[in-house]
Amino acid sequence: MNETVEFTFDGITLTARKDVSVAAALTGAGHRQFRLTNGNKPRGIFCGIGVCQDCLLTIDGRPNRRACMTPVEDGMRVETQIAQAPLVAQNAAQKTAERRAPDVLIVGGGAAGLAAGIAARSQGADVLLLDERKVAGGQYFKQRASAHSDPVDRQQAHGANLIDRARARGVEILPGAEVWGAFEGPEIMASTETHTYALKPGALIVATGAYERPIMIPGWTLPGVMTVGAAQTLWRSYGVLPGKRVAIFGNGPLCAQVALELSKGGAEITVLGEAAPPGWTRPGALLSMASNDRLLAAKGVGMLLGLRRRGIFVSWRAQPLAIKEDGDKLIVRYQVGGAEHKASVDAVCLNFGFQPQNEILRLLGARMRFDERFGQVRPERNANLETSVSGVYAVGDCCGLGGAHAALIEGHIAGIAASGGADPTPRDFAALSRHRRFQNALWRLYAADMPEIEHADGETVICRCEEVTCGAVDDALSAGARDIGAIKRATRVGMGRCQGRYCAPALADYLAKKSGRKVEDRSFFAPQVPIKPVDVATVAATEVLLNTPPADG
Amino acid sequence: MADLFDLLIIGGGITGQCAALTAAVAGAKVGIVDFGQNAGSHANAGSLHVQLQSRFLRLNPHLAENVESSLPLYLAAVQEWEALDTQLGGVELSREGGLMLAESADQMVFLRQKAEREARKGLAVDILERDALGRIAPYLGPSIVGAELCHDEGKLNPLIANKKLNARLGELGVRQIADRIDRIDIEPGKPAAIGQTRYEASHILIAAAWGTEVLTEGLGLRLPTPPEPLHMNITEPGEYAIKHLVQHAERSITLKQFRSGQVVIGGGWPAQQEHAEATPRVRSDSFLGNVALAAAIAPGIAQLRILRTWAGVNTPVDGKATIGPIRPGAPVSLALPGDAGYTLGPIVGRCAAEMILGMPTQIDPEPYSPSRWAA
Repeated sequence: MNETVEFTFDGITLTARKDVSVAAALTGAGHRQFRLTNGNKPRGIFCGIGVCQDCLLTIDGRPNRRACMTPVEDGMRVETQIAQAPLVAQNAAQKTAERRAPDVLIVGGGAAGLAAGIAARSQGADVLLLDERKVAGGQYFKQRASAHSDPVDRQQAHGANLIDRARARGVEILPGAEVWGAFEGPEIMASTETHTYALKPGALIVATGAYERPIMIPGWTLPGVMTVGAAQTLWRSYGVLPGKRVAIFGNGPLCAQVALELSKGGAEITVLGEAAPPGWTRPGALLSMASNDRLLAAKGVGMLLGLRRRGIFVSWRAQPLAIKEDGDKLIVRYQVGGAEHKASVDAVCLNFGFQPQNEILRLLGARMRFDERFGQVRPERNANLETSVSGVYAVGDCCGLGGAHAALIEGHIAGIAASGGADPTPRDFAALSRHRRFQNALWRLYAADMPEIEHADGETVICRCEEVTCGAVDDALSAGARDIGAIKRATRVGMGRCQGRYCAPALADYLAKKSGRKVEDRSFFAPQVPIKPVDVATVAATEVLLNTPPADG
Repeated sequence: MADLFDLLIIGGGITGQCAALTAAVAGAKVGIVDFGQNAGSHANAGSLHVQLQSRFLRLNPHLAENVESSLPLYLAAVQEWEALDTQLGGVELSREGGLMLAESADQMVFLRQKAEREARKGLAVDILERDALGRIAPYLGPSIVGAELCHDEGKLNPLIANKKLNARLGELGVRQIADRIDRIDIEPGKPAAIGQTRYEASHILIAAAWGTEVLTEGLGLRLPTPPEPLHMNITEPGEYAIKHLVQHAERSITLKQFRSGQVVIGGGWPAQQEHAEATPRVRSDSFLGNVALAAAIAPGIAQLRILRTWAGVNTPVDGKATIGPIRPGAPVSLALPGDAGYTLGPIVGRCAAEMILGMPTQIDPEPYSPSRWAA
């Protein structure tokens, strides 16, 4: 269980526990800077879930590998990623290409996807489930990397149980599978380290979850500044702390939960800053939460008490203002109420809400509408959770934030419907509405003035990938750019590796305010393949497959 | 009614903007009206074409003569781009030559014949066998047996060019208006473009690419301008190694690298488009086929990841530029590059503006007269 591996980082030999990610291995060894940008700026782990593309490293001669998605291996040669990697073909992956046509294809192995898989199998459908990570479970159930270690708590144990049930029922889970293509049909293209797949399912269930929204302040791109979820993954999945002294800022219950988890793991939580006012100022919301899910509400209260016992007090109405490097420390300047403070820490963790991962849905042409309360684009769905595209279902947090409990029920409903089963029962609907009422109350409790880029300093980076500042966006607006596409062309905002996942929501909101128009699906960058960056060799291997007629004619 | 312009240009792509630049520098009061939909210049990837594109010859064999007769225009076009590069303070333009690759003896024969035709038209071209080719282009894969090198070809960064040109027009006081022009009235009096607003001008220049057909219907022309939606891909940055504009003798591809290190792959793979005003969409066969071909040509890019794809609209018309007044003396003119719009846009736009202003023209516009489109 405590097997270790040896690897090198820029020639220095390091050790790490087997099965952890390269990101965790390096963090555990005290390294947080992984690459240099085109502008020669240092970068490290940010999102921790394969979205931001900022933790790139050269691994065994292959450039631009995500540290957060790559397990460390014995003898691995890890190097700092330079901005322009040499063009070398030798190490390119030679992948086996395969066609598959499952009855039901599920993208995403979190709460919603696993529940959908189990439900579809119960109808006798042949089910293939793709998950990006090496171990399924998604962000809520966040599993241990090693199958041999015990769950850290009930939440993780519940997830492990769900995965076991899915497997036992015969759901084929394909881990480490990233979807990069979605075309009419639907036809889905995905690849793992060794294989590339062209998939033509009878029905498609999109259960891709959400990723965290950052706050765009000076210094949010520095190594050591990461999402709260990234810090949680380091600890829950890999047993590595993001640093000894940690500051957490954000909005919502995840921040408190992770503060408690990291503290139990031995970290010193220097600041736990919550953007919302204290919960007791909103008794109505509290009451509604308690009446809709007493257990979950009690869990929340227990969490806050647990923090208090450890001497961690929530700073309500808190917002970080700027982060600076000071030797190997980070100095975070923040305000609570009106007063300004400073803290010197090893890691700053940020979570200012969530953004649904709806790229597949948008590409397939599912009708979307904008939710003003959460600032998210959400798919329209019928009672069976089918989108406007026939045979394409959407469940869980990729449809807006509903939480894991609602996701489990949504997955169940869609799994049954997608495999030709009965319509949802009144019991399903009742349970779903109860969880939705709980979520609704939860976010009323946590309602806060969110930081917006119109108040940001001109030097603040809005696009991490292309290093575009808010000032550059304003210049483009003054020069006559009228829509998000024109601003993209003028500034390169959104043209980088994360494909606009962080800047687009901020920019869509900013442009809407400037122009007085409402945000809508078109306010975001036009959806295009690839859904995630995909290497040329993998695309080429898939092309060979599709140019070869199927064996059975 | 909006302001009275000396010259009102319909279409704010590279052609219209360069016409505006020429006219504004000459002191004219210039306005540009653009609809903001499917502008070819916004989707362009910055190839500077000179040699005959095999794609065009293959897809439109009946237009080969037209394209060949335009070769001198292509030469003038890259010179115009160099002048623009200087004037705008650098658009990452380089002219290290364009390669058209062969993978078989037959293709080499085709390239030799093509090179002879092009040399007669004044192009600087060489045929390179594998060894000589390998010395200047070590990034090419083993299947490539030789190539034609056209010394005049090159590339530029269209994002930078568009941005700087836009800023320059702003400094010169050119008004850029967002509107969709539905028709043009010539009678009575001054010509007017009718959109949400009516725009009057001493002269109107149509530089609207695929939008030209509708605008010229009422002007006594029959000028079909169907859009040709094309697919493009771009990778993450790698070491800057592919300095040429790379094409293939038989297959559709353009492959080049920006100074940022990003590799741009395109060259005429189709996109899908329901109608001329719809946003074109990427097709899976074009995405896979185009990228796979690039991987075979330049194996070193295998590990780079494709970050984005997009579809842009080309307007090939009849493979030949259309420049000048719709009828001798008419107050409405046309500026249509006719394929390779981004390469030809600056020279075509300049020439059209020079004719309107009665200035001596950079090139002889006679072969490009709109008279061939009279209904």
